[in-house]
Amino acid sequence: MKRIRFAAAAAAGTVLLGGITACGAGDDPAGPVTITLLEYQQARVDVLEKLIPQFEEDMKAEGKDIEVELVADILTDGDFKTKVTQQLHAGTAPDVLDTGGSQLTGWAAAGYLLELDDHLDEWEDWGDFYEVSRDRAQEADGHVYSVPHEGSVQSLFYREDVLTDLGIDTEQPETWYELIERLEAVTEKTGEPSIVLPAGTAWGQGTWTEGFLPIVAGTGDTLFDQESGTWQLEGEGLDASFDLFSELTEKGLLPVEDLLNPNPWEPTKYVSFAEGTLPVAAQGTWGWRYDWGPEGSAPIEDVEEKVGTWNYPALVDGTEPYSIAGGGFSFAINAESEHPDEAVELAKWLSSGEAIATQLAAVGAASPRAGIADIEPYASEPVLLDAEEKLQSSIAPPTGEGSDQIAQAVQNATGDILLGDADGSEAADAFAREAEEFLGPDLIAE
Amino acid sequence: MAYQTVTVTQARMPERRPRSRRDRGMLPVLLGPSALLIAAFVVLPAIYGLYLSFTNTQLTGSAARNPKFVGLRNYEYLLTSDDFGASMWNTAQFVFLSAIIGQTVLGMLAAVLLTRKWLKGKGAFGAAVLLPMVVPEVVASLTWASVLSPREDGTLNQLLHVFGQAPVAALQTAPMLCIIAVNIWRGIAFAMIMFQAALEDVPEELIEAARIDGAGAWQVFRYVTLPLIRGPVFLYLLLTTITTVGVFGLVYFLTQGGPGGETRLTAIFIYERAFQYSQIGLGSAASVILLVLLMVLGLTYVRLAKVDV
Repeated sequence: MKRIRFAAAAAAGTVLLGGITACGAGDDPAGPVTITLLEYQQARVDVLEKLIPQFEEDMKAEGKDIEVELVADILTDGDFKTKVTQQLHAGTAPDVLDTGGSQLTGWAAAGYLLELDDHLDEWEDWGDFYEVSRDRAQEADGHVYSVPHEGSVQSLFYREDVLTDLGIDTEQPETWYELIERLEAVTEKTGEPSIVLPAGTAWGQGTWTEGFLPIVAGTGDTLFDQESGTWQLEGEGLDASFDLFSELTEKGLLPVEDLLNPNPWEPTKYVSFAEGTLPVAAQGTWGWRYDWGPEGSAPIEDVEEKVGTWNYPALVDGTEPYSIAGGGFSFAINAESEHPDEAVELAKWLSSGEAIATQLAAVGAASPRAGIADIEPYASEPVLLDAEEKLQSSIAPPTGEGSDQIAQAVQNATGDILLGDADGSEAADAFAREAEEFLGPDLIAE
Repeated sequence: MAYQTVTVTQARMPERRPRSRRDRGMLPVLLGPSALLIAAFVVLPAIYGLYLSFTNTQLTGSAARNPKFVGLRNYEYLLTSDDFGASMWNTAQFVFLSAIIGQTVLGMLAAVLLTRKWLKGKGAFGAAVLLPMVVPEVVASLTWASVLSPREDGTLNQLLHVFGQAPVAALQTAPMLCIIAVNIWRGIAFAMIMFQAALEDVPEELIEAARIDGAGAWQVFRYVTLPLIRGPVFLYLLLTTITTVGVFGLVYFLTQGGPGGETRLTAIFIYERAFQYSQIGLGSAASVILLVLLMVLGLTYVRLAKVDV
């Protein structure tokens, strides 16, 4: 009996102690507020590890006790999206997310992200952001859910050294017709494909954001109507874009085998372009550092001398060569964050002054806002400053709810072209049919 | 005849002792935890998955806020979808050639070899066959990615080079053949272990008798051994079919379902739709279809084997 009483007393004691401990573990109003920031690329982790202590100090000087826990989870773009989407759905995502714009649209529509309009209206610096950056940050519902801290211009990168050696003109091509003639000349001399545009399913979202979208967006087609929030699945620009992929495939100018296999950017951008055997590649500004910079995935020695950029040539009559805003990361705040104000404070701090200048130089991005061009180390990056100039006159690509489904239909349709299962017009029909199935009637223009 | 069978069965049955109250009290204690775990982690998720398959639930976009009941729309879409049909056909080929033919035949061969008294180095042979099974899936995939690499320094291409052949991109030109070969390599061990255990139970005197009657090695195997191990063979076929239909990592790491969907198994189709494209409702419907097909296959095997599972 005594033993039972002792056990009961011990159990009661344990429960009581547990209760006291639990009370003590709650948020201490006098203690620091901890916010979590998720990064999935090593270059960004490295630079943020250096910047975060400065943020914490600056906040302390303003009387705010904020600690930042940097969560480094190195993943590919696709894996990051898959993982964080589930975390957001389950309510377990970190406070601050740093990612490209393509997934933000779907997350914002799902209600996972904090609406930032009021925070940004009160922030003086928001007026310094270029119009194209602010347009990209605005979602289809008219609200802003992210702070763009990088700008990127999608261009055609070319190996100036290789083309010059081959006797190929390196001036800006005015039309795709002109460029295809040059590419055919390259392929005839080398016996190899001469251009890589992301296409097919293996490149994932990149097929849409870096491959197809930059081309169709320059044709003047209204792909997404902001007012009605609907997608237009047929049009001259769409037909011309699918025809272009078909022509490049039929003429042996695209590296079809590589594009059909996992991680197609590796054999194309990281191997063939770096070696000079594939001299033209569709690429965002980050290519200068992240892909081919000294510490990039496939360094090219003296990259800024050997590589140049072209605007996208005109594809349909009545258009001019153009550059297009694309890529570039933004900070978004989890709508479930317990400390939204502090999380927004971090996003704003990292998008200002020396902090943003350091990040831009490290990852190879153009400034999305004015007032940074004179701040080191960004100020000493001529190719990035040039991209910033171009960014201001770039086309903002259309985006809206359903872009994931459109991306999926484009991947399948361009995949059919690569496999030889469809020509341009058949691929355009397949795209329209599949996109209609994926989107449902509410998101399609009448 | 039927009367005799019943008589024999009854004669062999031990006399049933009435259960005591204490025994009956122990039943929930012993079965309860596993029943609870199965209910929590198998039955409830399966019911929830069935519910999701009748909705348009998505993880992103406005449909994530307000999922709607769509009846059989997901099933209609899947059953008329070329992509889903192609993934089912790919899965059928993969299961039939790698598991039912490859693993079973080679596993049986390895097991029979291990029963031979004249075979030297049985330990090393058994370990070599067993090794692929104990290697983690990711390591196995990376190993084969290196072997089948299209680069000149890939193991296969170096071997071809020794014989004066040009390098090949096997994962591009014959992707289905590659994943079938890899899955056979990985699954032989399990088949070998199961068949080895079954072969050990075959009475030696029956085999001796058949030999005395003039039966050759193949005839002994076909007419004596195989009928006696029919139960374990069908049990193995049931297990390997279920596990091979669920193979995901091994193929995804190697081909991601490509090139051009040639190795997109249904498991990869479901992953793409449910998680990459966030269409949970559609992915759930595809899973339910797969589950039903597996149950039909499983029941067929059980019927054929006439074994209790």
